[in-house]
This record gives sequence, structure tokens and C-alpha cells, in this order.
Amino acid sequence: MAALDADTWAALRGAFPSALPIDADPSGPVVPVDLHVAVARFLKESLGFTMYVTVVASHWPQADGSDRFEVATVLRRPSNPSVTAAWRLQIGPEAEVPTLFPLFAGADWQEREQFDLVGVRFTGHPDLRRLMMPEDWEGHPLRKSYAIDTPHPPWR
Amino acid sequence: MAVDESGRPYAHPLYDTLDHFPGLSLATTSLDRLLSWSATNSLWIFPMATSCCAIEFMTSAANRVDIDQMGAVIRPTPRHCDVMVVAGTITVKMAPRVKKLWEQMPEPKWCIAMGSCAISGDFYRDIYSVIPGIDTVVPVDVYIPGCPPNADQVLVGLKRLQEKVELHRRGLVPARDGRPEHDKMIDPAIGRVTDADRDASTTEQQLAASRDLGLGGNSRRASDTPSSRQGGVDEEAT
Amino acid sequence: MGSSTSHGAAPPPPAPTRDVRPLRMRVNPFLDIDQYDPEADLMALNMGPQHPSTHGVFRIKLFIDGEVVVKAVPYPGYLHRGVEKLCEKLTFAQLVPIVDKHDYVAPMTNEQAIVRVVEEALKIEVPRRARVLRTILAELQRIASHLLWLGTFTLDIGGTIGGGASVMMYTFRERELILDLFEMLTGARFHYNTHTPGGNRHDVPVGWPERVKKVCDVIAARLPEYTAACTDNDVFDLRSRGVGVIDAATALELGLSGPNLRASGVDHDLRRDAPYHAYDEVGVNVAVATDGDCWARYIVRMAEMEESLRIVRLLIDDIPQGPITALKPVKLHTQIKVPAGQHYAAIDTPRGELGTYLIGGGAEKGAAAFRLKIRPPSLHAMAALPWILPGNTVSDVVAILGSLDPIMGEVDR
Repeated sequence: MAALDADTWAALRGAFPSALPIDADPSGPVVPVDLHVAVARFLKESLGFTMYVTVVASHWPQADGSDRFEVATVLRRPSNPSVTAAWRLQIGPEAEVPTLFPLFAGADWQEREQFDLVGVRFTGHPDLRRLMMPEDWEGHPLRKSYAIDTPHPPWR
Repeated sequence: MAVDESGRPYAHPLYDTLDHFPGLSLATTSLDRLLSWSATNSLWIFPMATSCCAIEFMTSAANRVDIDQMGAVIRPTPRHCDVMVVAGTITVKMAPRVKKLWEQMPEPKWCIAMGSCAISGDFYRDIYSVIPGIDTVVPVDVYIPGCPPNADQVLVGLKRLQEKVELHRRGLVPARDGRPEHDKMIDPAIGRVTDADRDASTTEQQLAASRDLGLGGNSRRASDTPSSRQGGVDEEAT
Repeated sequence: MGSSTSHGAAPPPPAPTRDVRPLRMRVNPFLDIDQYDPEADLMALNMGPQHPSTHGVFRIKLFIDGEVVVKAVPYPGYLHRGVEKLCEKLTFAQLVPIVDKHDYVAPMTNEQAIVRVVEEALKIEVPRRARVLRTILAELQRIASHLLWLGTFTLDIGGTIGGGASVMMYTFRERELILDLFEMLTGARFHYNTHTPGGNRHDVPVGWPERVKKVCDVIAARLPEYTAACTDNDVFDLRSRGVGVIDAATALELGLSGPNLRASGVDHDLRRDAPYHAYDEVGVNVAVATDGDCWARYIVRMAEMEESLRIVRLLIDDIPQGPITALKPVKLHTQIKVPAGQHYAAIDTPRGELGTYLIGGGAEKGAAAFRLKIRPPSLHAMAALPWILPGNTVSDVVAILGSLDPIMGEVDR
């Protein structure tokens, strides 16, 4: 499934002509970080993508030892037929992206979960705490550098 | 006289008091038997129900497999209960709570580990957030294997616990379960509904139909040469 | 507690004013507790993580003023089993039995969600026989899941002594019939492991369709019993009507989906709007209610059970002949490889939109996922709690929590 259908891509390209590439990436377009909120607002208010689906952060360790992160956001238009819109942000080791909480209250726990498990900070989130792991947990389990069987004495 | 797992008698003040009165030994023996009988057949269960096994544990309390027939009552508070049934995966975040709830239960108390996650962690065993078996946190008396165990197997496990409780009260320590021998497999307490009205010819037809599908397993096992059956050579790879 | 006041003279306590405002005009759940009414005599009440009404291990901290909730802080994560990390280590054929354990009330739909994203990524055309069979299984699973929801929900608001347990006994009686069907097909009561990328593992056994029809008749005959026990019950009415109201815009913004969203008046169902399996052949009548309260969520789920029965009866008579898997039987579990690329696919489970976001090109040249994110519908339902609980009484907390139908294995994964 393409991440953006042709109509949505055309409308998005028309709204942000200089910032977006000409051809749509089948995995979803890479959007500059400073346009993240603007793209979400445009999709929600102009194109009717009112339903928050998910945010996926992933850790891409580089060959030189530095960290890269990618954050993909998915929205859905609850119409018939229903389509999704996904776009990606690529960020460096500072691992900070602006939050979508002011637009979508459903982003609250999803962003907290990604902060907990991957370690991407969502600036502006009102309550950025760990969601899944205990508060005193060390490390972010879904980073590639985190061993799956990390011990946690005295419990395991 | 009741003993615990290591054969050490419980230091109950009642027994010391009764020993001071001559002629009461006959009465205390009868009383002890009555207490054993009532303790065995009125085990109250505290469900430490976390995940999938909890649903199957609910099924064991529902109408088809009725856990009430064993005299067991499910009470969701630790202070009333004798048996803790750990049904489901226990995580690092949950384990301190399990320990705390276990300590809140009054003596004597027993623990049943239900399902492979509670027994060993199952395939979550090596994951950072899951503890490898509940017996690293609390002592376990009976293990009920399965993922999840069928509801009638919960009754079998509870029956095993009742035997253990009764032996403990008589001062004996029960032998450990070995692997069940083929002809001595434990019968489920209640027959499955599907078994009764299932025609034997249906099973035959199903087996024949699955052989006709040619999906690897059966046909390959029936027709292949012994060398390839042992998994030495893959036809496509050669 | 006021236990010393005389019985006759005490006026009836005023009914709590329930919050029905749109989301952004509600009480901000992130305020510090000192910023609420300083005159109020607040008490912190901790509920869970081991509580019979939280549907699993879920902790919620309630700040209450008398009986009324002022602020609610949920703490999930007590069942976080690190499945997404495990999914990066396992191959796609090995994933199916793992994801069974997420939503352990509806394992069939979990498997379908995960194999669907692999099929989308690899552009596998699933044979029609498998698609029809998957539709039947999904709808039977929906009935079983809603039955279990109804049993536990009435248990929540009625209590074991108050009559809720009798409805639970009825619903488990019918649920067992469906589990027997699944056992006949796959050999397991749940955790079936019957779907695989490209098709199904277990073909329809002899005599199975007749048995499905018999079970459908039994359940259709018994659904009116629930109407008699719940819809016509005054206590059920009082405990659920007007409790936990979520309006349509709030539900969308919070990301609610499935019956919870449709109970708020949004006519959205992935089975009809983005059809998968064989749903485009049958056509789905989507049940929608407008009130957005616990009652509406109950009505929607009851209507969905009727609709599921209709779909099953429509399809069970002529399951098409033909192969049941598109791929050849996988001999090596590393044979299925997903190249680099990002894919999202979702299906409508009994709890809502269960999506899977897959980044391909992981270990073993793509035989494992690089990153796999599961979008659980129950997580969004639980995230709605801080917004809708304030203003309700403590007893309504249990009703609202139960009506959202959360499964903690899915929230925490």
C-alpha cells in the first residue's frame, strides 16, 4: 500500500511546493522536521484526516557509530473509502521532534510509548513520562543497541 | 501434626496448648482430621490473573467446567484466600506487586503456576521485561502446563493441590510428578462436548482429506525415503 | 462518611454533573493536582494493578472529592512483554503464534492483522477460499469476543451477587460453542496459529459448515435472552445511560476505533470503508449509535453480533473450492523475505482498528522485520480515560472502563 494516495500527495505537494520532493516515495514522503506540525494540520483541517492512527519511531545505527532516528506518523480519513496518510521525519542523534498533541489528543500515549521504548523526545508534550517500563528503568529497549535479554536484578 | 515442605512442623500455639491437657489427644486427632478435610475441600482462590490464561481461568469458573464443584471459591482479595493462581506472564513491573500480594495472604498458603508463562516465561523468557517463571518470586506448589491449559486441566491441577494439602496435614510430603506415562494419562475431569457427539468416521475423513492436501507433513512422511525423512536433504535446495 | 446523621432527615445527595463537553473544553488532565479547587478535600485512590474490574493488570490513580473523580492518572505497562523487540528477531512465519497473545480475547483477528501486512508488502494474492474462510473466522471471533465483553461488563456493573454473574454464565455458554468450532478447525481452543502469509494452515474439516450453521442458529435464538437480561433491565439502564459520554469529534481525535467510535456517532468501519478478506462481496451493515455513552457502546456491540451472524450464514453455505494458500508450504521459515520499505495495513477487530506498521529489510536479508509496530485499539481507549473520567463517580469508573472493552495484553504488548 502506498503511504499516500495520488490525490492526497498532489494536494500536499501543492501546499508545500518547495519543501517536498517531486516524486512520492512509496514508503511515505520525508518531510522536514520544522514542517511536521504544519503538514499534520493541513491534512487534518483541509483534507479531512481527522483520525489519529499511530506514530512509529525507529532507531537506525550508522556505520560510524552515530545514531539516526526516523519517526513515521499515520493519519486516517474516516470516510468511505477510507485512506491513510503517512509521512516520515529523519532526525539525527539529538532525537527531538515536535509533538502532535495540540492537534490530536490521541498522540498522548503513542508518543509517550515511543519516548519510552525508542528514546525520541517529543518537544511540547505536556506529560512526557515513561509509559510501559517502570519509571526508574535505564535505557530504551527498542534501540538496536539494547540487548533483548538485558538483565534487571533482582527480578530477572 | 502439620508439616511444611521440608518436614518441619508448623509451630502453631494451639497444638502446644492442647498437649497440656491429658486425654485430649483422641479429640485433637479427630479435630485434626476434620480440619484437614475442611481445608482440603474449601480452598479459596486468589486469581493473579494477568493475561491469556486469565480468560481460560474464567472459563474454568464458568458453566461448562465448574470450579465450584471442587469447593473452590474465587475471591479477588489476598486476605481471604488460601491459594494464589498465577495465570499469565509476570513482568518486571508486576513482580514486586505479586510478591507483596503473596505476603498479604495468611498462612498456610499455596501457589499454582498456570500456563507456560508463569512456569518458565515461555517464549518471553529472554525478554528484558519478563521474569523467567514465577517460582523465582514465590514458592510454587503445582504447575499446570499449557499455553493456555484447558479449563478442565485447571481442575486437575487443583485436585493435585488438594492431595498435596491433605498429605501435608498428615505429615507426609507428596512425591513429585513424573512425566505422565502413555497409558496412565490423566483423564480430564469432565468430558469435552465435542468428544461425545463426534463420529469416528469424521476423524477418518478428516485424516484422508488432510493427506489429499499434500501440505508437506503427512504425505511426505508416508512416502519419503528414510534418509530424507530424517531431514538430511531438502529437495529444493539440491 | 456522615454515618451519624439521622436517616429520615438527610436530603438525597445531588446527582453528579457528568462532563459531556468537547475534548478541549474539558478539564485538562495534565494539571498539577494543586491547581484544582484548593478548597476541595481531595483523596487519592489507587485502583489496580491487581483489581478484578480493570480487565487485566492496569493501574489507575484517582483523585476523588467525595464520590466524584477530579483527576485520573492511568499507569499501563504491567504486562509489557517486549513483543515488538521479539518481532525483530523472529521470521515472519514465526510471528503468528506470538501475536496470538496480544488480544487474547480475539486471537484470530490478531493473526489476520499481522499476515495482512506481510501480504500487502509482498503483494501476495490470497486465494478466494482462504479469504472467505478468514471472513467467517473473523466474524465468529467477533461474536465470541463481544460475548465475553458482555459477560464481564455486566459483571462490572452488576457484581457477582447483583446478577451480573448470571449474564456471564449465559455468555460463556455460547462462547464455548464458538471455541469448539475453532478447536474442530485448528485443534486449539485459542492461540490457533492457523493463518500464515498467503493463506491458512488448516482447511475446513468435514462436517464443519453444518456445525457452524447449527451454532449460528443456537446463538441467534439466545441473543434475545441478553436483551431481556440487559436492555429491559432497569439497573443496567441506570448504570449505563448517560455515563462516560464521548462525542464524535473527541472520539476521532483520541483515536478511538471500532465499536467505541461507532457508538459516538461516527459511521466508520474498515470492513466496509477499506475492505479486506471477502468483505467487499458481502457488504457490511455498520451499526452506529449517536449517544456515545456506555449504553450506546452496548447497543452497538449487540447489533454487531447480529450482523456477524448474518455474514457467517451468508458465506458458510458456499465456501469456494480451490487452494487455501497462495504460497507453497514454507519449508524453511526464512523463506518469506520482506525487502526494505515501509508498509501499514489495518483490519477491524472486535476492539477497533488493529494496524501493523512494518519496516522491512531486517536481519537475515529481510526474513525478519527491521521494526514492527502494532497499533492497538485498546491503547487509545485507555488513553481516553483521563479525559472522560472526571465528573463521574467512583462506581461509574468501573462501568466506563468496562464499556471501552480494553485488553491489557494489547495495550502493553
